[in-house]
Amino acid sequence: MGNAAEARRTLSKDPGTAGGGARTVRLSKVYGSGDMAVRALDDVSVELPARRFTAIMGPSGAGKSTLMHCVAGLEDATSGKVYVGDQELGALSDRRLTRLRRERIGFVFQAFNLLPTLTAHDNIVLPMTLAGTAPDREWLDTVVRVLRLGDRLAHRPAEMSGGQQQRVALARALVTRPQIVFADEPTGNLDSRTGGEVLGLFRHAVDDLGQTVAMVTHDPVAAGHADSVVFLADGRIVDIMDAPTPDRVLDRMRGLGDHR
Amino acid sequence: MIGLVFKELWGRKRRMAGSLMAVFLGVTFLTGTLVLGDTLAGSIDGYYANAYGKTDVSVRSSTRVSDQPWGSRGQIDAAVLDRVRQVDGVANAEPVIEGSGQLLAKDGTTIQSRGPRTAGNWMTDPKLNPYRLAEGRAPRAPNEVVINRMFADEGGLAIGDRTAVLTPERVSVTVVGISMFGEEEAFGETSFTAFTLDGAREHVAKSPDRISGVSISADDGVSADELAARVKSVLPSGTEAVTTEAQVEEGMSEVESGFLNIFRTVLGAFGAVALLVAAFSIHNTFAITMAQRTRESALLRALGAGRRQVLTIVGFEALVIGGAATVAGLAGGMGFAELLRRLFTGLRIGIAMEGLTVSATTLLIAVPVGLVVTLIAALGPAVKASRVPPLAALREVAAEAQRPSAARAVVGGVLAAVAAGAVVFGAVAERMTAAGAGALLAVVAMVVLGPAAARPVASLVGGPAARLRGVPGALARGNASRSPHRTAGAAAALMIGVGVVTLMTVFIGSLGASLENSVAGSFKGPIVVNAGNNETGGFSTRLVQEAAKLPQVSAVAGVGSGNLRVDGEPSVVSVADPSALGRVLDLGVDQGALSDAGTFAVSKSVADEKGWSTGSQVDVTFADGAVQRLTVGAVYENTDLTGDYLVPRSEWDAHTRQPLDNRAFVELAPGASTAAVVRALTDLGKQYGAPEVQSRDDFVASQTEEQQGFITVVYGLLILAIVIALMGIANTLSLAVHERTRELGLLRAVGATRPQIRSMVRWESVIVALFGTAGGLGLGLFLGWGLGGALGNPFASPVAQLVVIALVGAVAGALAAIRPARRAARLAILSAISAP
Repeated sequence: MGNAAEARRTLSKDPGTAGGGARTVRLSKVYGSGDMAVRALDDVSVELPARRFTAIMGPSGAGKSTLMHCVAGLEDATSGKVYVGDQELGALSDRRLTRLRRERIGFVFQAFNLLPTLTAHDNIVLPMTLAGTAPDREWLDTVVRVLRLGDRLAHRPAEMSGGQQQRVALARALVTRPQIVFADEPTGNLDSRTGGEVLGLFRHAVDDLGQTVAMVTHDPVAAGHADSVVFLADGRIVDIMDAPTPDRVLDRMRGLGDHR
Repeated sequence: MIGLVFKELWGRKRRMAGSLMAVFLGVTFLTGTLVLGDTLAGSIDGYYANAYGKTDVSVRSSTRVSDQPWGSRGQIDAAVLDRVRQVDGVANAEPVIEGSGQLLAKDGTTIQSRGPRTAGNWMTDPKLNPYRLAEGRAPRAPNEVVINRMFADEGGLAIGDRTAVLTPERVSVTVVGISMFGEEEAFGETSFTAFTLDGAREHVAKSPDRISGVSISADDGVSADELAARVKSVLPSGTEAVTTEAQVEEGMSEVESGFLNIFRTVLGAFGAVALLVAAFSIHNTFAITMAQRTRESALLRALGAGRRQVLTIVGFEALVIGGAATVAGLAGGMGFAELLRRLFTGLRIGIAMEGLTVSATTLLIAVPVGLVVTLIAALGPAVKASRVPPLAALREVAAEAQRPSAARAVVGGVLAAVAAGAVVFGAVAERMTAAGAGALLAVVAMVVLGPAAARPVASLVGGPAARLRGVPGALARGNASRSPHRTAGAAAALMIGVGVVTLMTVFIGSLGASLENSVAGSFKGPIVVNAGNNETGGFSTRLVQEAAKLPQVSAVAGVGSGNLRVDGEPSVVSVADPSALGRVLDLGVDQGALSDAGTFAVSKSVADEKGWSTGSQVDVTFADGAVQRLTVGAVYENTDLTGDYLVPRSEWDAHTRQPLDNRAFVELAPGASTAAVVRALTDLGKQYGAPEVQSRDDFVASQTEEQQGFITVVYGLLILAIVIALMGIANTLSLAVHERTRELGLLRAVGATRPQIRSMVRWESVIVALFGTAGGLGLGLFLGWGLGGALGNPFASPVAQLVVIALVGAVAGALAAIRPARRAARLAILSAISAP
């Protein structure tokens, strides 16, 4: 992996990424009020450490997506604090949150990651163009090479397969050198082989490009690619597993299912 | 099944609102124009019904020289009155005297109005008098008058004021009363200055034994028809007795076939344009919603619904929307008609209208049209949607991306070529039919070509936006060209609206230029004394006689107008001293010469049509019933200042007691200054109601200004069509925003700011609007050139107006985007991302 070494060299030039990662402190999120109130997150304190690949798992309704949305600044916290790098999100205006998302957070969604009118290249550099800044050529080339998108740059999303689209989405998430990349079921729409390939690229991004990834999933196989897994149930963290394997994750999930 | 339809509708309220809006606007415009036409007809009917008070039977001259609804008739022998009074069954009979009489305002100028300016006698029997006293009293002395409210207000006159009436001699009068015509301030825009009978005899009839007619009321138990028959038996030849009912009917049929017909045609044309524009909006709206629901209907199909069932659901949905929107549109149409009524009344177009008349025909047209247009507009896209295989639709597909087919470009190209050829041929060969057919075909070609042109045009127009506005501009351009059908649909509506406005502008410009050219071509002198084109307006022929005596004036000729039956047909003629006129105007005499004061001349077009040449004998009938044989002494080509017939003043004045000129053309003596002559003529004119003394340029300009009021309304109506088109764009955008919820959410998630989102939607709208505006301008200019050319008018494009139209199009595009852009920017990112 000559690329990886090169990428590390590139990375080391940029100390800004060093304080990456995100964490929450006693984060709670309540929807509705009074009798109708639903406590989606209940006093969650969790660390999504820099240069690690963290999976967030749990049964439906456990609060995984809510946790991700809060950490990504897409949703306000009811109480508690959220940090992306050193920045506390609660105090930010919509405009500054938008800037934060643009510059320091990357997203990969389950589907519909790309604007249909733009080519792959334009989709990748979209956050930069929105900010009115020029992409870092060298880094862009690196990301494109690592994700093997060189021959796809002029294509529009409709002309690409699902796996290719997700790779473009990942490239877009990485190109700003964010402090953290959030992925929401990134392989949910892919067959297992293509999904595995995409997950391998996430792994790659963390190991070789020094990026931080947090992924919401309910697929134990997907979680098996992560460095650690955070298990949620009923809005609380019930377990954290390091060096997961699909079998161990599945076992733990079964336990959660019984618990419910 | 029906329940499913309503659930479906309710579940998609916004989509429903979009469709409703499009149908609503179309029906509103259609209903509004129909109701306005009926209202005008109803009002005119009402006017006529009251025009004769409670008179049962009228006696009048049997000679009709005018086919205008308000055209007056000649005078009859006053002795008829005594004979009529003898008839058994006559309760009362009063003489009617009516003639030209121009009331002067407090400042001594003639009160300008487009209606007839009349003077006559105040009838003492309130049953026979259509006017009633609102203030003051009836006249008692020959120089006391009652004037009607509208002109009292216009002229700043109150009871006790002294002013004058030109009949056309200047008669000093004192206002003693102010009258109302029923509940109206005037009969249309007719001014009526009423003297005592003696006063009217002296000043208007100018003879004790001539009257205009007799108004008769019947004894109880005697029907109007019966009375008319009895009166008829005592009448001398040349007079007739008609019942009020017959007179009203006659007037109405003249109005129906004349003014009202034109009015309805014009309104109908606008209704059609608006409906066409609305149909595009409706179709576009449904096409978008259909694209959105392709997956839903595919799901239904996958669950076992047949194609027919899916179509039935859409059909029901369209009927429900069409029905609701049509009902709302009918109500909206009332509001619209009311608005137009006020506008027309305010601008004094047609006549003051009261209330609104809604006929069954309006409902019978508007309701089916609303429903059918909705149904057709909805089912087209639905059929297309139902053809999508269920599984293909269930997959994640971009529902909107369709490329226009090559066949479309070919068919459209051929149509456009044929249309352009026909228009060019029509323009060059001056064939209106060819140009007209070409114009219609051009519109069809434009609609067919639209989607094929949308992509390149959007990228072209969007280029500057992309350069100027960065990402939002580039995204806007991409969005505008990504679904050419939709962009073309939204733009087509605007294109038609702008096209018609441009066509009108160019056409009017050409017409004006043509008129200016020929007026300027036939009149070379420096000064015109101009009293406007009002037939009962004008100034006494004495003004010209006086002006001729001014030392600075070398030649002057007055021209009046009047009605005659020429060769049996009621015609408008010019009255002048042909030899004097020949000295100040170049009429382009083709045969003979305007050699002396008695020369009767006709235009070349009439001469060709009738097969006349110099020496031909033509029978004319004057208003007083006299028939005379005139010999054509000259044939001329330039008709803009004199019309088709030029009747010698010497012949004319033998049959009228109120000789009037509408304008006088003046040539200066060598060495005289224009300013001094203008001053001298203005001073002279003060005795004659102060007609305007205009320089040649002012006069030429004023000739094209006369239709301004009407043109304003035409523009107003067309601008409404453009507003509908813009609402269509807004609608399309709203739906597109709705449809692209996830895209917008994604954009926000990766860091687009709200202003960037707003900017993107706004620019897309501007691009679509510019596409429509540019297409409309091009089409309108070309067709204006073609249709104007077919009529033989020179091409004159009023550049300033066209620039305004282009700017309005672009700005309006930005305005149309305000709401959709705001909605797009407000979308919560999360709901956007998690949208199904």
